[in-house]
Amino acid sequence: MIPAAFAYHRPRTVQSALRLLQLHGHDAKILAGGQSLLPMMKLRVATPAHLIDIGRVASLRGIRLRQGVLRIGAMATHQEIEFSPAVRRAAPALVETAAVIGDLQVRNLGTIGGALIHADPVADYPATVLALDAEFTLQGPAGVRTVPAAEFFLGPMTTDAGPDEIMTEVAIPASPLRFGAAYLKMPNPASGFALVGVAAAIGLDQAGRCAHVRVGITGVASAAYRASGAEAALAGQEPTDETLARAAAVAADGVDANSDIHASAEYRTHLAGVLARRALVLARDRAMASGRRRRSASRV
Amino acid sequence: MKIEGEHLLPATRDRVWAALNDPDVLVKTIPGLKQLTPTGEDAYDATIELAVGPVRGTYQGKARITDKTPPERMTLAVEGGGRPGTIRAAGALTLEAQDASTLVQYVGEVQVTGVLMSVGHRLFGGVAKQLAGVFFKALEREVHQRADPEPVR
Ligand SMILES: Cc1cc2nc3c(=O)[nH]c(=O)nc-3n(C[C@H](O)[C@H](O)[C@H](O)COP(=O)(O)OP(=O)(O)OC[C@H]3O[C@@H](n4cnc5c(N)ncnc54)[C@H](O)[C@@H]3O)c2cc1C
Repeated sequence: MIPAAFAYHRPRTVQSALRLLQLHGHDAKILAGGQSLLPMMKLRVATPAHLIDIGRVASLRGIRLRQGVLRIGAMATHQEIEFSPAVRRAAPALVETAAVIGDLQVRNLGTIGGALIHADPVADYPATVLALDAEFTLQGPAGVRTVPAAEFFLGPMTTDAGPDEIMTEVAIPASPLRFGAAYLKMPNPASGFALVGVAAAIGLDQAGRCAHVRVGITGVASAAYRASGAEAALAGQEPTDETLARAAAVAADGVDANSDIHASAEYRTHLAGVLARRALVLARDRAMASGRRRRSASRV
Repeated sequence: MKIEGEHLLPATRDRVWAALNDPDVLVKTIPGLKQLTPTGEDAYDATIELAVGPVRGTYQGKARITDKTPPERMTLAVEGGGRPGTIRAAGALTLEAQDASTLVQYVGEVQVTGVLMSVGHRLFGGVAKQLAGVFFKALEREVHQRADPEPVR
């Protein structure tokens, strides 16, 4: 349980971290909270010769809500996200997600950037960032680019981010009027990771119909995905319990569900439907409540 | 562990079969394949360098085509390993003509040992599927390029 020897670097800026990454190439890994990387190094499944600790890069920290966009530094810990007033105001479903990751120690060290880059197929954030239309900023030798969450997760531990890129920021549009979102997870009793996790977001129009629907699902397939069938089934519909249930029923349609010692593909598919229905109902109730709250507030 | 999947390629069956039997094409399409050395008829030594997240490894392996019925079906035996563990697999590829396209189906039984197994078990199936997807996409590109008409001499 002792990792192989490695050289340790602690740059202060993204630029110098990028330079180190380029210099050491395949032999180097970025170290964020270490909550996924260090266990793999202790088991010697991962044996990077150089660790580039970005914990002291000040520009990667901090959470800001400005001009309707929530900007979360990649080094924000699960704990900081859980207790951030800005996140609570602009993206409460992300608070709900951060709060159910691992245990206190893990939340205190683990970061959103590390979790997204690691892209464990049973991790929690991927479902929620998909449902909230998040966008990720990546910085590499070729410059800065942004990638929408919907194009980011490709497979287990495989994302659109290149090995020479650093994730710097997660941007989420602040939830507008009549918008509600929720994340629900069935934890694996052994690991606490999601057996299945579903994040749903609903935006209602003036008439109370679904103007915007997103369903992000983790744990079912080899990468988190958007349940586009369920989203399409609700477009323009009145979100009654029945329509939500019908949409949830196709949450895993056309998806190649994983089967392993923890759960069969059938069970995961079933669970996706059950959790999708509950998450959609919760998102709708919150969307309706948010409309009511703001209306009464504006009367004062 | 059973691994299976399928991919529809927009090319005729003969063309897909030829590509699957061409070491030049395989070197360009198999993810991480660094070297492919024929060691006899339908037998190869291979070196593969793959990084999946922080797990980086070089794997040495042997692949043998144990049976083939052109252009329909071949069976393969693969074994190899690297520091994270060993892999032994036996599988079959079938090619089915569908109009101008070809449906390639693969099915295999894979045995994995070492940390690759103890740590990677729940990830292995997903990684295999994702790599198969990368392979077929690259194969599609190759088959397309080769399908372009010969330049007029
Ligand atoms: C006991 C335990 C329980 C857990 N339970 C859960 C759970 O229930 N749900 C869940 O979702 N997760 C869970 N996790 C994982 C946890 O959320 C990790 O914090 C997270 O997966 C990785 O974040 P990190 O900051 O620790 O990254 P690290 O471990 O430091 O890095 C992970 C990977 O990302 C790369 N990386 C990190 N940051 C960046 C960046 N900014 N740019 C580019 N590359 C980067 C690293 O090189 C490495 O490959 C658990 C972990 C443990 C140990």
